Amino acid sequence: MRNDRRWIDRLVEQGARQVARRTSRRSFLTWLGTALVGGTALPLLPVARAADDARVPAPDDGALTGEVGDAKSCHYWRHCAIDGFLCACCGGSQNTCPPGTEMSPVTWIGTCRNPGDGKDYVISYNDCCGQSLCMRCRCTRTEGEKPVYFTSKNNDLLWCFGTKSRAVHCSVAVVLGVATRS
Amino acid sequence: MRTALRWPALVLLAHVARAAAADMSGPALDYVLNCQGCHRADGTGTPGSVPALAGSVGRFLRVPGGREYLARVPGVAQAPLDDAAVARLLNWMLERFDKDDLPHDFVPYAPDEVGRLRTSPLTDVERVRRELLAAIERARP
Repeated sequence: MRNDRRWIDRLVEQGARQVARRTSRRSFLTWLGTALVGGTALPLLPVARAADDARVPAPDDGALTGEVGDAKSCHYWRHCAIDGFLCACCGGSQNTCPPGTEMSPVTWIGTCRNPGDGKDYVISYNDCCGQSLCMRCRCTRTEGEKPVYFTSKNNDLLWCFGTKSRAVHCSVAVVLGVATRS
Repeated sequence: MRTALRWPALVLLAHVARAAAADMSGPALDYVLNCQGCHRADGTGTPGSVPALAGSVGRFLRVPGGREYLARVPGVAQAPLDDAAVARLLNWMLERFDKDDLPHDFVPYAPDEVGRLRTSPLTDVERVRRELLAAIERARP
């Protein structure tokens, strides 16, 4: 059995000796350095970036026609009347609360126009409750908001009602449907 | 290979999500925009702070003053809707959340009736509500 494998040893030894004769350690280091530097620089090329963009996962509501903008941005169309910290920046998403918090069942609801398709979507702004303020991605937008004496349409209030804790952490913006006036 | 398999799944999810964004209109939309935030989608409310509509709201029509009460509670009287829309919304809520409790001779709310009642909103809602609930209890067979 051992004799059968001698030809492999010979082949590898010959190859190694040839490499040693033809190349120097310095040339190997040069090659290695080029590969390392070149490899790290590759993603900076526009082609590489374009390929990465194509692989960015779609937002969870990517199906809504003409999805526009960044879900972690106050300017995102769905946040047209949000006042608070975006849960997408706090360990949750635009539809779900971060772990350790509880979504308030009592909420305030309005509409936001999606510039992608021109439709008015019904949005529920639920607070996620049970931890202190998230302090990331603070947004204050007031489209359709009414003064505080119109409590059901005011977003300055803390909406942690019906939850174990009244401490508000962040807010989600859940799409309930498309508003069509009949 | 794994990446290639993800795309059909994403497309499928996209179609599911699109189907979920249902069209809303008429009194159903008015309910969502003006009532659902507190009374919830299924009308169950929040015990202790928001009264339930489900299995409850129709009972008020069975006692004197109950019909007027439903159009005079703050959420209804002050809703940013015209009288016709409020009448339509009240009728829709009664059918949707408590059809079984509707009296056999129930007459749907009319816009002019709602308009008249809204001009005199309740000033002591809790007291009126307590009295009506007591009357409902007494009227139980």
